[in-house]
Amino acid sequence: MNPDSPSNGLRSISTSAALATASAVMLVPANLLPVLSTQTSGQAQTNTIFSGVVELWSQGLWAIAVIVFSASIVIPALKLGGLAWLLLNARRIPRADARKWAHLYAVLDLIGRWSMLDVFLVTFLTGLIQFGLLATVEPRSGIVAFASVVVLTMLATQAFDPRMLWREDDRHPSPVSPS
Amino acid sequence: MKTADTPKISRAPAFPLIWLVPLLAVAVAGWMGFRELRERGPEITIDFKDGTGVEAGKTVLEHKGVSVGMVKAVRLKHDLSGVSVVLRIDKDAAELASSDSQFWIVHPEIGFSGVHGLDTLLTGSRLNVRPGKGAPAQQFTGLDKTPPPEISDKGRTFVLQGDRLGSLTTGAPVFFREFKVGTVQTTWLGGDSTGVLIRIHIDTPYVDLVRTSTRFWNAGGFDFKVSLLGAELKDTSLESLVAGGVSFATPDVEPLAPPAPDGTQFKLASQAEKEWQSWAPKIPVKSPESISELSAKIETVPAIVKP
Repeated sequence: MNPDSPSNGLRSISTSAALATASAVMLVPANLLPVLSTQTSGQAQTNTIFSGVVELWSQGLWAIAVIVFSASIVIPALKLGGLAWLLLNARRIPRADARKWAHLYAVLDLIGRWSMLDVFLVTFLTGLIQFGLLATVEPRSGIVAFASVVVLTMLATQAFDPRMLWREDDRHPSPVSPS
Repeated sequence: MKTADTPKISRAPAFPLIWLVPLLAVAVAGWMGFRELRERGPEITIDFKDGTGVEAGKTVLEHKGVSVGMVKAVRLKHDLSGVSVVLRIDKDAAELASSDSQFWIVHPEIGFSGVHGLDTLLTGSRLNVRPGKGAPAQQFTGLDKTPPPEISDKGRTFVLQGDRLGSLTTGAPVFFREFKVGTVQTTWLGGDSTGVLIRIHIDTPYVDLVRTSTRFWNAGGFDFKVSLLGAELKDTSLESLVAGGVSFATPDVEPLAPPAPDGTQFKLASQAEKEWQSWAPKIPVKSPESISELSAKIETVPAIVKP
């Protein structure tokens, strides 16, 4: 198939938008549901992503709190927001700005994978900390939702075709609109 | 020069399949949320006079040694008279939130009668509950201290009236021939403050040992007497030495007096009279040990005859 066909560009937007929407939907359980439950000497505790950040902060681990906060809350939000902005405006931006927007796209593509940090953290903790009565860590359903957010945004960015930004013909009254 | 082929104009389908993905996401997210909500039990509020050691997100509610709930918030009451503890109970333990359930905070306790809740030294306090049978409720008033241990055994309870308490405490043993047959449930000062009242519980197999003619005495501590005739040490078991205890004996005059009904009141002597200890009534008991006693007899080996 010809990658330059206008309908192909539209499809890329549609695919990307669909995946981004799915990702935004999954963001809700990812932030509301607990991602991790720890049990230390009989004391059970469940943490959502945000309560985990708060706890790290209150224990004085500011650096880690900032890293986790940016990796798991700021980056996914920025990424989804940026992607939404890009998708909504892809067909309207003036050609002169295309380079700027392409940069935005490149940044989005780059930062996405860093959000997987949280998922790795939970996986490592679960594998490492299994001391029976003393301490156990178990993943909870929120982390699955979170992982799906990260994967879906990554797929959404991949699906977007940045060449769209330079296309002249389908920016104005669309020739592919059903007639 | 080749002319271009007729361009194929492919239209995006009216409903691209990729949009099934967000629909699926909605379904999955909804299911996750629903599952989380379904597992959630009732939320109740318990008022305590003192909330030492109770922490939101850390303190658990335990029943029969199993964690069945978690403290969500601890707040000072508006009139500063105590604290309100907001507790989320697990779904499968929801029935614990019935109107006459009793809640209390378990602190480590080291006393003469034993060590209780020692694990709370490490884990922090926890809440405990004695379930009631009333209608579901949301608001409770917590107990100030651990209530007397729950007695699942039916048995019988009697009230003893004594001059002084000695070292008797809740949970102290009740002995018959220095064999433990029951426990002290509660102790309180008599209504007109002329004596102390002690409620004891006798376990089911031994209820028949208590007759209307039975004498009770305080078996706690020890008594050391020195006189011209020598020294005499009255002691009982080590357990009652530290925790205090009650002993009783039943006269062996035939026919035996009838078994004392539930709730009978007895006098508690400060010490036993010599005669009481020689009483040996024959009263059958149905203790689990008496069954093994039978089989032990069968196994008795005749003495080895040396040639």
